[in-house]
Amino acid sequence: MPIERYIFLAIALFCIGIAGVLIRRNAIIVFMCIELMLNAVNLLLVAFSKMHHLKATAANATAGIEGQLFVFFIMVVAAAEVSVGLAIIVMMYRNVHSVDINFLNRLKH
Amino acid sequence: MSNEQLLALLPFMVLAGASIVVILMIAARLSHTAIQVAGFLMLCFTVLAMGYVRDILPQEILPLFIIDGFAALYTGVIIFSVGVVGLLSYIYFEEREENPKEYYILLFLATLGAAVLTISRHFVSLFLGLEILSVSLYALIAYLRNRNNAIESGLKYLILAALTSAFLLLGMALFYMETGSMEFNAIGQKLAGSDPGVLFKLGLALMVVAIGFKLALVPFHLWAADVYQGAPAPVTAFIATASKVGVFAVLMRFSLAVNLQQSEFLLNVFSGIAIASMILGNILALRQQNIKRLLAYSSIAHLGYLIVAFLPGTREGIEASVFYLFAYAITILSAFGIVTILSTRMKDAEDLSVYRGLFWRKPLLAAVLAVSLFSLAGIPLTAGFFAKFIVLLTGANYNLWLPVIVLVLTSVIGLYYYLRIISTLFASAPAAEPRHKPLHPFFHFVTYATLFVLMVMICVLGVFPGPAIEGIRQFLMIR
Amino acid sequence: MNVSDILFYFLSALAIGSAILVVISRSPIYSVLWLIVTFFAISGHYIMMNAQFLGIVNLIVYAGAIMVLFLFVIMLINLNTDAKPQKGKWLRLAGTVAGGCLLLVLVAALKNTEVKGMGVQVGTGDIGLINQLGKALFTEYVVPFEISSILFLSAMVGAVVIGKK
Repeated sequence: MPIERYIFLAIALFCIGIAGVLIRRNAIIVFMCIELMLNAVNLLLVAFSKMHHLKATAANATAGIEGQLFVFFIMVVAAAEVSVGLAIIVMMYRNVHSVDINFLNRLKH
Repeated sequence: MSNEQLLALLPFMVLAGASIVVILMIAARLSHTAIQVAGFLMLCFTVLAMGYVRDILPQEILPLFIIDGFAALYTGVIIFSVGVVGLLSYIYFEEREENPKEYYILLFLATLGAAVLTISRHFVSLFLGLEILSVSLYALIAYLRNRNNAIESGLKYLILAALTSAFLLLGMALFYMETGSMEFNAIGQKLAGSDPGVLFKLGLALMVVAIGFKLALVPFHLWAADVYQGAPAPVTAFIATASKVGVFAVLMRFSLAVNLQQSEFLLNVFSGIAIASMILGNILALRQQNIKRLLAYSSIAHLGYLIVAFLPGTREGIEASVFYLFAYAITILSAFGIVTILSTRMKDAEDLSVYRGLFWRKPLLAAVLAVSLFSLAGIPLTAGFFAKFIVLLTGANYNLWLPVIVLVLTSVIGLYYYLRIISTLFASAPAAEPRHKPLHPFFHFVTYATLFVLMVMICVLGVFPGPAIEGIRQFLMIR
Repeated sequence: MNVSDILFYFLSALAIGSAILVVISRSPIYSVLWLIVTFFAISGHYIMMNAQFLGIVNLIVYAGAIMVLFLFVIMLINLNTDAKPQKGKWLRLAGTVAGGCLLLVLVAALKNTEVKGMGVQVGTGDIGLINQLGKALFTEYVVPFEISSILFLSAMVGAVVIGKK
């Protein structure tokens, strides 16, 4: 399988995520789009890990393993981030009864 | 892992242990005072542990960490800042209704994140350190959740930080694709022969976005003023010092490993960022009436000055940047210390009107604030002046004339708004507001003493910087 | 066109299609459900590349835990009646154009790179198996593994502190 296919797929997912962050104003959906972007990067990393494995497997039997380990750590981090992030969003809902990010303009400029 | 490697991690374990101790103390329903004292003792133990392991440095824990003099210096600045922030937090949180105890757990964990950044030399450890720092900061910024602003600034920071960490990861993935490695030195070796390709530049651009965001450099500074304003004052002090020191340390280590400064193009990009930060930070601060926002813009400008020391990418540059960060940390901590002390139960002391005539009411506080503002402005005989001077000298030695000239010119602009605050301190005084809750006299004393010591340090570093520079040099030898 | 090609295109179309639906769905509940479909498609890609551990963890952690957390929060604050129109038409257009421009730039940058023509190992290779990953995780990467537990501690404390009444 050529690597370009995975690159294009991952970049497409990443850009859909960015577009979602820009066009939605519901904080929960914005947060979900960020998760989508993280997943696009995960896919990219796994593809690169398998690519480097194929390239260097003769010299090193575990070449490319760091890519997959990194994905594991990204998942760990994403889970942690989501738990705190959703707590903040729930608090915001309790305070202003909305999760619209356009409400976030009370701090004066 | 060998025993020595494990021992080299001792300071970090003590730091992690500090948060566990606090958790256990909360479970045992001990008072805020006890937790404060225990937390401070644990920080002292961390410093002792750092002294204890000094002889076995440098230690490499392949492939992820390296604990050397460079890391020790930056970690030292971080621990120092957190110690001061912790001391200042007591009277701030004691006055408020919310339970202040969990605050210390998060503070120590955030510190650990920043400290992990200083020893990391691999994308995995970089990312983990950065995220421990960010996740703790989300909670710390939104800690006083009954004030709307806190949640608002917490959410703002959350969304922007999560977005930039996605960019950072994409950048790292592109680096990995190009070099097949995630370790800084290996990446440097892979890139050494070849001219950096498009992918390298694209990945680096994405990483610059993320690092620029964390350091609040222009044009990624939009969050800074809002978050500084909305966060509790001690947390703002933490963001301004410890979190930036950690991120800057890892930026420095990465750029040294991959010879970032060798590339003309990248040097121009970073000079551009530095120049934009210095100019815009100072100009935006000019018309601010809110002191927390003003300090936010001032810290944008100061990070711009710091990047000038980063540009040469040499030993002198590191020395200058460590000294600069240390001086900056002392100065900004004493400024935020005053903001913390003057804050009332409902509102942080952020309006400039609170400071009108402070000198006639509380001469010591006014003196500390005045000295720290002088230092921020870079008036001679303060630490800020000397720090700026050696940054200037490093820049001039490497013919970075444009950033150096901008540094000098924008410092002059900066004088205007710092002096404006100082002049308000001496204006005629309104009546002082009474405090709601009498403070523990011992802690009142400790806070004042801390601020006084900070003020003395600013002056001493400004007049006799020699020993500090010598110490920094000796630590940098451990590599 | 062999089986793995067909599978690749099917999973990719599924991933991209449901990702677009995440963004354009009116109701947050549908967004969550489409995101779960996206994650299943991505897990399919992992399993195709023989990264079985990550494929399963992706399902358990992302689709199973994180998305359910989102679902709980949406139900808790009763958001499924979000019938209000989204941002103005122009802002939406601008967002889409910005995303599209970024896509174009990235594709253009990645088009002529030296990795072009390199292959990805599909279906074979044992680095993605639990055995190999576990060995690396508990030897070389043991310190970051422990540090990630500290990350969870801070997330836990943070969520409790912020979320409690």
